[in-house]
Amino acid sequence: MRPWWRIAFLTLQLVLALFVMYRFRLESRTFFHVMLLATGGFVVHSQLPLRFRQPFFVALSVASIIVALGWLDGIAVVALGLVLIGICHLRIALLWRVLLLAATGGLFALWRLELVPAPWSVAIWPILGAMFMFRLAVYLYALAHDEKKPAPAVTLAYFFMLPNACFPLFPVVDYSTFRRTYYDRDELAIYQTGLKWIVRGLVHLIAYRFVYAHLASDPADIRSLGDLVQFVLATFLLYLRVSGQFHLITGILHLFGYRLPETHHLYYLASSFNDFWRRINIYWKDFMMKLVYYPSFFALRRHGNTLALVVATIVVFAATWILHSYQWFWLRGGFPIEPQDGLFWGLLGVLVVVGSLRELRKSRSRVPARATGWSASLALRTVGTFTVICVLWSLWSAQSVMEWLVMWGAAGTVDAYGVALLAALLAVGLAVGGKPWPVGESQARAPARPSSMQTLLPGLTLIALIVVASTDWYSGVAPRAAEIVASLQHSTLNARDANLQHKGYYENLDNASRQSAQLWDVRSQKPADWIPLGSTAAYRSRTDFLGGELVPDAHIVFMSQSFSTNDFGMRDAPRQKAKPAGTIRIAVLGPSHVMGSGVGDDATFTRLLESRVNAAASPGVRFEVLNFGVAAYSLTKQLAQLDDRVVAFAPDVVVFTDSPRLREPVVQHVAQAVGAGVAIPYPELARTVADTGIAPLASRGIPVPFDSLRSVAHLLGIPTRMPWHEAERRLRYASPRLIRATLDEMKGIAKQHGAVPVFLALDIVEEPPDEPPAVLQSARDAGFVVFDLLDLWHGRDAQALRIAEWDNHPNAEGNRLIAERLAVLLRDHRAALGLASSFR
Amino acid sequence: MATTDEMVRAVKAFILDEFLPGEPADSLAGDTPLISGGILDSIATLKLVMFLEEKFGVVLAAHEVDKQYLDTLDDIATLLAAKQR
Repeated sequence: MRPWWRIAFLTLQLVLALFVMYRFRLESRTFFHVMLLATGGFVVHSQLPLRFRQPFFVALSVASIIVALGWLDGIAVVALGLVLIGICHLRIALLWRVLLLAATGGLFALWRLELVPAPWSVAIWPILGAMFMFRLAVYLYALAHDEKKPAPAVTLAYFFMLPNACFPLFPVVDYSTFRRTYYDRDELAIYQTGLKWIVRGLVHLIAYRFVYAHLASDPADIRSLGDLVQFVLATFLLYLRVSGQFHLITGILHLFGYRLPETHHLYYLASSFNDFWRRINIYWKDFMMKLVYYPSFFALRRHGNTLALVVATIVVFAATWILHSYQWFWLRGGFPIEPQDGLFWGLLGVLVVVGSLRELRKSRSRVPARATGWSASLALRTVGTFTVICVLWSLWSAQSVMEWLVMWGAAGTVDAYGVALLAALLAVGLAVGGKPWPVGESQARAPARPSSMQTLLPGLTLIALIVVASTDWYSGVAPRAAEIVASLQHSTLNARDANLQHKGYYENLDNASRQSAQLWDVRSQKPADWIPLGSTAAYRSRTDFLGGELVPDAHIVFMSQSFSTNDFGMRDAPRQKAKPAGTIRIAVLGPSHVMGSGVGDDATFTRLLESRVNAAASPGVRFEVLNFGVAAYSLTKQLAQLDDRVVAFAPDVVVFTDSPRLREPVVQHVAQAVGAGVAIPYPELARTVADTGIAPLASRGIPVPFDSLRSVAHLLGIPTRMPWHEAERRLRYASPRLIRATLDEMKGIAKQHGAVPVFLALDIVEEPPDEPPAVLQSARDAGFVVFDLLDLWHGRDAQALRIAEWDNHPNAEGNRLIAERLAVLLRDHRAALGLASSFR
Repeated sequence: MATTDEMVRAVKAFILDEFLPGEPADSLAGDTPLISGGILDSIATLKLVMFLEEKFGVVLAAHEVDKQYLDTLDDIATLLAAKQR
């Protein structure tokens, strides 16, 4: 008999868990809805007789698919899934079933790639893929070897299991274990474990948020040993998201009687590479053991156990590499084969082979369970393993191998923070790593009734999290702590991903496989026809320093809006080059948000501004606000554009526009120009670029990082060039000087043509930076009139001002706000702009 | 042919000696989880398989290297008994 009060107590704690998810906005809204369904379902499920529970779980799982995907896509997932399950049960030889499944998978792949039209959306594939891409293999294996034939409810529960609909990345649950462990222990103890793992998952996800927002930096910003150590550490810690999700998933399954084993166990405390492989993503390791390792070993053992073990281990790591790409295909599309992946899995595989051989040859004395003493040897092994895995993980996560290699150049800049961080990590690592932590949470024989403390701990943890989330209670006494906690209560892009997203507006990010989960969540919503300007017919390349421009008289649809250019390749009304008498011309230069990405031709802020300033103009004065904006135009491109065409329109005021992220576009533009051997026709800027020493970027030869290594190669007669990432890094270091030189050149040309230079700080719809960007002071020092509109979006409903959920450019209302504010600023600064008599 | 008790005793002695040195014999019962409890990892399981094959003259298939067959001393005894039948 289940005591009702214990179910009620568990339910109460699940409600607290829901409240924590709500306060921290953990995972997606879909997940929250599915969790609500799971909590209600748990109460009903726990009261049902055992024979009705599995069918009820299946019904709940199907409902969760509908909740997550809607009716049409939800039914498509279930129907296509049933087709796959049906093929598994055809009364034909196993080989034919496998071939039929492969052919069906091929058809599904055509749908996944959107090469064949389908009545459902592409959103079904990550979920259907997560349900079937590996589980089918496990299921077929069980059908081939298990004596007990599966009941339909068990099969349906296995494939459509409840939390899968909102977790495309899902642990590879073993079918035999799934079936064998179903209510095989005291049900309340199973539920209690489930709750414990849900809470652990939530803690991991909140810790991940902290690492993502506050520790994971942009590799472009690594300048010292401290930055490097923090970056490498944070890269590995970001894995907390996966372990958090997997704990949540298996915790939820426990609530329905599936007493599955742990998916991860203290993986940061592994004391060897084999130990690491056994602690991290345990389900994957078990899947590989069952379907790859043991079959390979048994097939090869006639050649000797050692050879069989070595080859089987190598096959496992090669398969893991390939299957990660296969998984990527279903979850995100594409089949990435990157050198970093090969190096990571290859190196880890070699380390595990070496460890396996050692274990095979000697009696492996496990640390006795009751040993609790600290061991120096164990501490050193744990710290060593952690360090090597951190380094390997940073390689795996890097955009490219060269970026990773160049990054290590920062280790030579030893700073106090770096030394202190290393010392602290070493001390903590030795203290914690020297303890003999168990290799797995025991799947105990007959679990003892949990102690009062074990029962209360999840609830107490949840209450503590709710208190921490209530920042209003303590923001007065601990404002910094409240600020940090507040930053964890919403999912937002960190500096690195914000930069990547900004870059993605202009380029097709060619390395999507390196995007973080956070960035992917945003970008995956983008429709396929939402392409960068450079990929449209309205843009063309040039071979000079400007690099590219808008095509004159272009008429296209861009970001779902009409996009037209005039005779001069400006996104503007028809204009005459010669300035009409009585006309004041304000030329506005800048990137996409000046050009008007995502708004119609008549809704750009330059168009709206022209109407506003003309309404306030003195009699006989007419304003023309000329839109020279072009997507991806950095400050350096604006300089080139000024010289190339703007001055020919005889502007009275020239407005140069950029956001707080102006550094990267300048770095990319200059690196591209130098790499292509294009001369920089501005002496001061050219000198500053030359000082960075990036000229070897244009050399012909193999890319070799660092001057010292290139010198050695040169002595050996090997032609080399500077790798792209090293040039980028050098330019980033020099970016304040580059920007200042650009501003000085701009001002010189503007003054020479009688125009007043203005620097407009204007971002897409994002919160302003904590500190004013240094470029504002540089612009003032260079003699610009500065208009700071970075606070324009602060305190407003950002979603209502953006063109799309996946694109933060200002919409028509956002452009109206910009025009309104600029009109006021132009009037307020009319004297400084030489327009004192032009306004009423 | 060994009896079930003899088989369990021999396997238990092997596991205690090889993987749980210093542990008292009564810490390893017939239902103690060996694989799911973390006593046997993949290499240790292979060593156990080699021991079983050598000691009892049986041949195990790849799919039998699994928790279903080798997770407890009782499971192992059942498997061996079936193999020797």
